[in-house]
Amino acid sequence: MRTLPFAVRSALVTTLTAVGLTASLQAQPASADDINALREQIRLLDQKLRVLERNQELKEETAAAAAKAQPKITVGDGRVELASADGANSLRLRGLVQGDARFFFDKANAAQDQFLLRRARLIFEGKFADRFNYVVQPEFAGSSVSILDANVGFTVTPSLSLLVGRFKTPVGLEQLQSDPVAFFNERSVATNLAPNRDVGAQINGLLADKRLGYQVALTNGVIDGGNSPADSTNLEGDFTVSGRLFATPFVNDKDSALKGLGFGIAAAAGNYDGTASSPLLNAYRTDGQQTFFRYKSNSTPTLANTAVAAGASYVVSPQAYFYSGPAGVLAEYFATSSEVSIGSGATRNARTLKNSAYNLSAGYVLTGEDAGFRGVTPKTNFNPSAGTWGAFEVVARLAYLDIDNDAFLVPAGGAISLADPGASATAVTTYGLGLNWYLSRSVRVGVNLFQNDFKLAPGAAPAAGTVLSDDETALITRFQVSF
Amino acid sequence: MKLKSLLSALLAVVAVSGAAAKDIELLNVSYDPTRELYVEYNAAFAKYWKAKTGDTVTVKQSHGGSGKQARSVIDGLRADVVTLALSGDIDPLHQVARLIPADWQARLPNNSAPYTSTIVFLVRKGNPKQIKDWDDLAKPGVSVITPNPKTSGGARWNYLAAWEFAKRKYGSDDQAKDFVAKVYRNVPVLDSGARGSTTTFVQRGIGDVFISWENEAYLAIKEFGADKFELVTPALSILAEPPVSVVDKVAKKKGTAEVAKAYLEYLYSEEAQDIIGKNFYRPTDPKAAAKYAGQFSKLELFTIADAFGGWAKAQKVHFDDGGTFDQIYLKK
Repeated sequence: MRTLPFAVRSALVTTLTAVGLTASLQAQPASADDINALREQIRLLDQKLRVLERNQELKEETAAAAAKAQPKITVGDGRVELASADGANSLRLRGLVQGDARFFFDKANAAQDQFLLRRARLIFEGKFADRFNYVVQPEFAGSSVSILDANVGFTVTPSLSLLVGRFKTPVGLEQLQSDPVAFFNERSVATNLAPNRDVGAQINGLLADKRLGYQVALTNGVIDGGNSPADSTNLEGDFTVSGRLFATPFVNDKDSALKGLGFGIAAAAGNYDGTASSPLLNAYRTDGQQTFFRYKSNSTPTLANTAVAAGASYVVSPQAYFYSGPAGVLAEYFATSSEVSIGSGATRNARTLKNSAYNLSAGYVLTGEDAGFRGVTPKTNFNPSAGTWGAFEVVARLAYLDIDNDAFLVPAGGAISLADPGASATAVTTYGLGLNWYLSRSVRVGVNLFQNDFKLAPGAAPAAGTVLSDDETALITRFQVSF
Repeated sequence: MKLKSLLSALLAVVAVSGAAAKDIELLNVSYDPTRELYVEYNAAFAKYWKAKTGDTVTVKQSHGGSGKQARSVIDGLRADVVTLALSGDIDPLHQVARLIPADWQARLPNNSAPYTSTIVFLVRKGNPKQIKDWDDLAKPGVSVITPNPKTSGGARWNYLAAWEFAKRKYGSDDQAKDFVAKVYRNVPVLDSGARGSTTTFVQRGIGDVFISWENEAYLAIKEFGADKFELVTPALSILAEPPVSVVDKVAKKKGTAEVAKAYLEYLYSEEAQDIIGKNFYRPTDPKAAAKYAGQFSKLELFTIADAFGGWAKAQKVHFDDGGTFDQIYLKK
């Protein structure tokens, strides 16, 4: 039964008593003692009501405090989070599923049209004892299950944290951006030159009131765009060091037009000594994920027929982004140097290859939501019955990757080139246009059209039907759920 | 890059990030009526520490019933320091959780009590029930407000003060128990802490008399007006010595041990003792004590050690499960 508010009840008691008092006064004149007795009675009743009210209040306070002490379960946007009452311990379950339909309009890749499960990940994130956190991210798409990220972090202070395990090497800006929120369905060709996930330790933090971020990592080492395996070999017994400084000088100035500006520089350096069976070299792929450059290899690998990493390698990458209202731009440049060889003895061809690449991507949210490095949050979700359609974003990209011509050089004296000009391009320029439809914060449909123009080595004659026999024109469509 | 040169570079980065002035956050877990005291003291300490080291200290405060607060710290509340109502609430931090050493109370002067207080009565203006001393609280028809001794340190001081009064007046523990039982029969609301009881008495208008910390009573009169309440000082009361301690294990983990220690030591400084007096606690420093002596009534004070053999014994006899309070209150 619903109780009357305290003030109402008090008034009611007072009124009833007063009516009784008035009635008795009408019946016969009341003595001063009677009036005092009635007053005392009213006071006692008032006290009783107040006590009841207060005890009820205390019960509610106790219940509220008990509820606060209970672990919290939060479900929202597909995420599930379990957290201790004080928030010091938590487990968050997230996921990412990307289903692609890919169509190629060039003569070379028509056979590559396909539906593809691009990514299928369950992400376990958690925190314990307030300062420790962890991520375990298995990938279920592909021919086998693999672990992408598995690391444990320890926050000493906001300016100093330690990360140990498998994580993204802190070099490429687009690489470090979470895949589901990037402008395009696939990262640019420039990212081929950025080392990806590796095993090691990293210190990082935010300085100058969060205006300057730094990361310094020591890892087993992975060259040019590759992922090191979880049991990454470290053949040369040396480590790769990578570091990144990234400034967001106006991030705390809420009214600044430059609030969304970030810029920085990243670099990595290490030694790589591959073997015929483990050359430690990676192939480069187009936006349509077709291989347009690979070092020479053989199904029966020997040093005579397989190019291998053979010494020092480094990458330097200046990078920046700028987000302002619905518009955003991301730009990065890579310059790499890698010592690579093929053959042995008198027929050894060893060279230091200097490759470079850039990526310039931009987007504009047509429906007016803010763009950002962490993605777009639509103001409304797609709901035709309510007449809401989510958010729409147009995106454009220009990217370029140049391979050192020395990779195709055939030295005199019987040595062979590091790459086959008939199977590998010397450069690729890519143009991308796309439309992203954010049906909700978690669901995105992306339609991207890519044009990849290959530059071939002089005299190169790719076989008909191979990737390089025609410039690539690809339509990559994606339905993505990311929570 | 070889490992040695790399480690040197990493150490250099760590050194640079560690050399700058720091932002430090402390958590002071305290009992109910100290809110205003520590708001003022925290500001003074932050200023002092900034001038001394360049570091910025922010002290967060947590208040509640003293026993309840101690339980929270034992259960994992990351307090750098505790400033509780009685040593009996701090002892379990060693006995149960080993968060502090056994000799914690010997680390600071006056048994780690930088201020004292006592227990008085707050009554409504005109003192309509003519409350003069402890006897009056046991009379039929007198409504008494006091918190729950199971959760509130202040309530335990109240309980023991009433007990000792009756024991001295009537001659035995049995009679004291009967007396205290009569007092608790007059308690209509049992809040979990002293501040809750203040709310009950002052804001909700319940009860004829509030057994109160001396500073809390003065604060109520200051805040709500001398035209509404009066302070009544009994002839006999207890000397309350609220102690303080660094929570060593937590402070060490958080890297705040040095500043936490300094935070408590500064409570004995001239500036802090003045703040203590201003907030109606009794300073332990003779100079400040003399300065504020005029604002406190004179009464006979006894100590927990003299009357009850210390907190450990008092806790066991009166407030542990099955103790005299349970015997009295569960019967009610």
